[in-house]
Amino acid sequence: MSDLDFPTSAETLDGVSTVEVRTSANAALIPTIRAVASDLAARADFDLDAISDLRMAVDEACATLVDVAAPSSSLRCTFLVRRERIEVRAEVNAGQPDAAVSTDTFGWRVLQTLADDVQALRTPGVDGNGPTVGIRLDKHAGDAPR
Amino acid sequence: MTQGDPEYGHLSPLLEKYAALDPDDPRREALRDELVTGFLPVAQHIARRFNNRGEPLDDLVQVATVGLINAVDRYSPERGTDFFSFAVPTISGEVRRHFRDLGWSMRVPRRLKDLHVSINTAVSNLSQDLGRAPRPSEIADQLGVPVADVLEGLEASEAYRSSSLDEMLSSEQGSATVGELVGEADAELTRVDFQQALRPVLAELPERERTIVLLRFFGNMTQTQIADKVGISQMHVSRLLAQTLDRLRTRLDPDTRSG
Amino acid sequence: MSDPVAPCSRPTADAPPLRTSITLPQPGTVLLDVHGEVDTLTAPPLEQALSDLLAEQEADRLVVDLSGVTFLASSGLAVLIRAAHRAADRRLRLRLVTASRAVRRPLQITGSEQLFDMYEDVSAAVD
Repeated sequence: MSDLDFPTSAETLDGVSTVEVRTSANAALIPTIRAVASDLAARADFDLDAISDLRMAVDEACATLVDVAAPSSSLRCTFLVRRERIEVRAEVNAGQPDAAVSTDTFGWRVLQTLADDVQALRTPGVDGNGPTVGIRLDKHAGDAPR
Repeated sequence: MTQGDPEYGHLSPLLEKYAALDPDDPRREALRDELVTGFLPVAQHIARRFNNRGEPLDDLVQVATVGLINAVDRYSPERGTDFFSFAVPTISGEVRRHFRDLGWSMRVPRRLKDLHVSINTAVSNLSQDLGRAPRPSEIADQLGVPVADVLEGLEASEAYRSSSLDEMLSSEQGSATVGELVGEADAELTRVDFQQALRPVLAELPERERTIVLLRFFGNMTQTQIADKVGISQMHVSRLLAQTLDRLRTRLDPDTRSG
Repeated sequence: MSDPVAPCSRPTADAPPLRTSITLPQPGTVLLDVHGEVDTLTAPPLEQALSDLLAEQEADRLVVDLSGVTFLASSGLAVLIRAAHRAADRRLRLRLVTASRAVRRPLQITGSEQLFDMYEDVSAAVD
């Protein structure tokens, strides 16, 4: 692990590298975000199944959020690369005041299966703005290397 | 159609005989050789169609011959389908697959290609040993290469699959117009040796029926795809095909049947 | 019987990166070849292609070659699962050809692989 370098992200004192990606909330841009996710996981030495899972989980989370995002708003995706795990927070400003991430869908079940931990986030909007809705997920690198 | 063809007509009974033989019948091998040799011009024609794309013709003929052997092995006459309408797509499919694999080898540097092969091997060995998917560092250890190389190799293997490599090979359908598709199907027909017998009969058909037959048997399209292109229902295509084939059979059989 | 509304693939300049084509590798067998990434944008064209495959009434062997697929999201899984149910209505099981982890993993992790007959290469699946 220690001989790996992270050319795309700067490591901070607490051992967490942060990578933030911000795009328009448009499904056509999700492939870029999931490519970032799988690149980060590969560089963090996740096992190949975990890399694949993270890529799919990030896609799922982003697709869910793009669906509820306000028109011409943006999608913010933050990757916190820790030792042996990556935490992802994705957020959008929702268009409708009562918007929320629906957790009774097939997609959400898939997301729960793929990630080690997943939560729907919601902050009510102020001054007539829609709420901020998001998904936080955690993915471990896989079983310890030999 | 095979039956009435002067060049291949004699092979028809052999196909039936071959299909009826027990898989371990000792006569199978000789019969298969005879069939493959007999139909070899078809494989050669198809191979030639893919010529001038940077691959030696000999290699293409070899690949097409593999397709022909598969076609001979899998063909079952009792299904009622003509051998050519089965063999032509089978052979073309084999050649296309060859180009698809080749596309990757042409676009990806030799070094990465070799790396890709060794990564694949290491991944399957390690998965077995570890009972889980390996990590890039474990693959690197196993191969004795830097982790960066493994990352590059993994990325390349993703990239080659997702790129539109087979564009030139799969562009024949999709957005093409009926006219273009018929043109291609027609060109395909000229490359098949029994065209002399078939062409005059096809020429007698009304235009729409002719289009449908060409697309079905030489354009390698399904009934649904044809229905969509021609703008009628799949049921209608199916009916027209049945009628047309009947007509073709009665026109071909009485005066061209050899022997 | 309604007429089909769209062809199995209709690539345009800004089309999502998914290519599908249907061929008849041998009598009674229809093969749908899929290339690219299957996500929320490309799941609808895949669904259309699967309907075209299922519309081949004469075929008793339906093969979906996913070896050219590099990504499969839950939207794509859902489309495949629906197609498996439609095939089951005709007492058929879809044959899936999967060569990469990107396709096998989502099918395994959701348990949906049980709905299909799985193959590692296309020649075995059409045989």
